[in-house]
Amino acid sequence: MAKDLKHFLDSVKKELPDDYVEVTRPVNPDNYDVTAILEHLTQKNQFPMVVFKNPSNLQGKEAGIPIVSNVFARRERCALALDWPVDQPNLPLSLEYARLERENVAPVEIKKGEAPVKEIILQGKEADPSILPGVRHYEMDLSPVFTMTLVMKDPDTGIYDITFAKAFYKGSQRLGISIHTPHLERIKNKYEERNQPAPVVIILGHHPAFFLGSLALSPYDSDDYATVGSFLREPLRLVESETWGKDFLVPADAEILIEGVIPPGEIEIVDPFGEVTRHYQAQCIRQAMDVTAITRRKDAIMQDIFSGHEGHWNLGAIPKEGSIYNAVNKRYGNVKAVHMPHSGIGRLACYISINKKKEGDGKLAGMAALLESWTIQVVVVVDDNIDVFNEKEVVWAMLAMVDPKRDVTMVDNVYTMFTTAMGHNKIIIDATKPLDRAFPKLLNVPESAMRRIKLDEWINQ
Amino acid sequence: MERIFWVECPKCSDCFCCDYELRHSKYKLICPFCSEQFLDSESPEIDERL
Repeated sequence: MAKDLKHFLDSVKKELPDDYVEVTRPVNPDNYDVTAILEHLTQKNQFPMVVFKNPSNLQGKEAGIPIVSNVFARRERCALALDWPVDQPNLPLSLEYARLERENVAPVEIKKGEAPVKEIILQGKEADPSILPGVRHYEMDLSPVFTMTLVMKDPDTGIYDITFAKAFYKGSQRLGISIHTPHLERIKNKYEERNQPAPVVIILGHHPAFFLGSLALSPYDSDDYATVGSFLREPLRLVESETWGKDFLVPADAEILIEGVIPPGEIEIVDPFGEVTRHYQAQCIRQAMDVTAITRRKDAIMQDIFSGHEGHWNLGAIPKEGSIYNAVNKRYGNVKAVHMPHSGIGRLACYISINKKKEGDGKLAGMAALLESWTIQVVVVVDDNIDVFNEKEVVWAMLAMVDPKRDVTMVDNVYTMFTTAMGHNKIIIDATKPLDRAFPKLLNVPESAMRRIKLDEWINQ
Repeated sequence: MERIFWVECPKCSDCFCCDYELRHSKYKLICPFCSEQFLDSESPEIDERL
């Protein structure tokens, strides 16, 4: 049986039962009911996956389609999604991600009658996204926003590119979509240069491995459907779309698909939207999308990202940590661990621990990390006795080891994707212990004492 | 950091932020609070400090 979202929900109930929460009371996602519940949980330091069983749709009526959110909010669930042991959610998970990223599994095409996403097909005036339970996330958001992925197809090479992108409901069968990544921009521009409408499909739910795989840092000319197959650990099943038939294949086991076209030259106003950075993305001009079809499972569940929170940050960190580890290790062979913490939204900050042999090793590792990931603004390099997944230890190292005149390096005028006060500048902080001068030693209880003393022989717990 | 400006809605007086590409542009801004559409020149108060 092909992997799908329900398969994953069942595995969470079984393997991580405390991670599964259902809300059965009716919710109005357009009135912040969904995000208020998630925010309350976050403030209690709880990050379960939440299924909202009875949301209303954008028309204010019962949607008949549940919403699931916070899927990626714990690394353990991301591990489960990739069939990786949940007790190894830190660097081993990221290294496994980096390994899967280098592999491809060719997709397979199935017949329309076999595709769950074709159980309900809406075309013409029926294909109106207002039948869906769109979530309005934050107070200054322009509208409810669909927050999952788009897929587009290169008109020349035929490769498919899947990327997370926002879709704002603009009324009737119109959306404003925010294409902001190089690969999708490239495809969109090809159609615009030819003055042709660009086919685009929004994928509102699938097995989480599908979405994790879509974040792989693959070259432009690689087919994302094949990359995603690697993460699913099975061929992705595809089926012909309603609008273009076999000329544009879509994921057969998705929950909900919105097919449409980007008319050349037409724009929509989109944003503000509470973004990954925890700031609102300012209102701007982006592409319009005219909806041509909506297809879905009979028992579809719509997926949503609680933007600017833990799940959104894990989607940044996990795909990058492994490739940064490999890139730095390939050059210098001295990396112990890499982590992109939530404090840096899983993108802006990178902590690297190394086995330092000589002065300058820290800065070299930092430079290699900056080259590998264009989202990083601050790299902190520490010794291998510091756990980079423990922020308290990293901050201690910064306070105890760093001479700002020597160990803090700014690299200016380097493009970065995110608008923060740092602008297009990056910082490397070498927080490793200096080797070229006398320096204090870290305190320690002797190993022999630690081995000799068994806690339960001394304290009743 | 990309440049933004804050604009006050002429109808509901709430404020929201816009990308500077929309400043002095032909595109009508859309208030996220009341859906009023207006040109930035129609706003009673704009904060575009650098």
